[in-house]
Amino acid sequence: MFDQTLIRICLILGSFITAGYILRRVRQAKVQIEDTIFWLLFSAALLILAIFPGIAYWAANLLGFMSPINFVYVVIIFLLLAKQFFMSIKLSQLDSKVRILTEQVALNEEKVERDKLDL
Amino acid sequence: MSKLLIVIPAHNEEANIVQVVEELTRDYPQYDYVVVNDGSRDKTAAICRAHGYRLIDLPVNLGLAGAFQTGLRFAAENDYDCAMQMDADGQHKPEYIEAMLKELEAGSDIVIGSRFLTVKKPKTLRMLGSYIISWSIRLTTGRAICDPTSGMRMFNRAMVEEFAQNLNYGPEPDTISYLIKNGATVKEVQVEMGERMAGQSYLTFWRSVQYMVKMSISILLIQWFRKRDTETPYPERSL
Repeated sequence: MFDQTLIRICLILGSFITAGYILRRVRQAKVQIEDTIFWLLFSAALLILAIFPGIAYWAANLLGFMSPINFVYVVIIFLLLAKQFFMSIKLSQLDSKVRILTEQVALNEEKVERDKLDL
Repeated sequence: MSKLLIVIPAHNEEANIVQVVEELTRDYPQYDYVVVNDGSRDKTAAICRAHGYRLIDLPVNLGLAGAFQTGLRFAAENDYDCAMQMDADGQHKPEYIEAMLKELEAGSDIVIGSRFLTVKKPKTLRMLGSYIISWSIRLTTGRAICDPTSGMRMFNRAMVEEFAQNLNYGPEPDTISYLIKNGATVKEVQVEMGERMAGQSYLTFWRSVQYMVKMSISILLIQWFRKRDTETPYPERSL
């Protein structure tokens, strides 16, 4: 029993630290709002699992897990994997944008220098 | 009269852009405009160049917020007194610009071209999102904004500079609610809007749902934590 309470306290702490940290970044205007939505929903999910352990018991029973905490792990792993997947796509897009921008800057530079040489 | 810049963000609008800009230059030559091509995959940029329109051509796609911010930076750098957003799909009608400009000159920071100021908002599924956002703004600021999702918005010089320099200043309802909370004067003017003339709307059902979730969380929760800082311009901040 003590064991479970400790886990729940850890989840609640984790949830508040995540939300607090990301909202502080918003306050300092150091993160774009669309990038904070995931983390706020993530901390909400942790909080819900901590406050209503019945959900974990019910789902663990349904899916045949040995222990309810395993369901909590699965949820966290799934959310982080999904995030990783979408970040991978985003990173790839950013990479191609940087390449196009670099090419554009270099081409513009060349045009400016060529005009100078013509004079 | 104030010097107004009309910013026309265009993403894949080859079918509409000529008609929109031609109407503007033919009937309303007193206003300046600039088309911001947001990395279109179609011939939008080529068409603008061929017609000699004033064009800012973004080499990559930034999305509406980035395209609009580019236009506002242009306005700030070229000493315009105010700027407005106008869609490139022909939904926004230039005959309402004068009324909006008058309202802005009467001392507002932001003027929204509103479809539902004197007209009743229809109770359809499409308008559900608009109702939710109106209600969220009402709840958090106490002010009624009848048409928060209208893209037809006009900004005075102070707002242009603030939008041009800062992070998280997208031309969206959450920014409006944030600015109202920080003391900006926001007025609405009744306008009529047309249907998009041709091409595909960006807002599919799934994207609308995503947009709604983002806007609701942003207005109801995140905006409370923001700190308005008009002193430090954005480029000097380290991200």
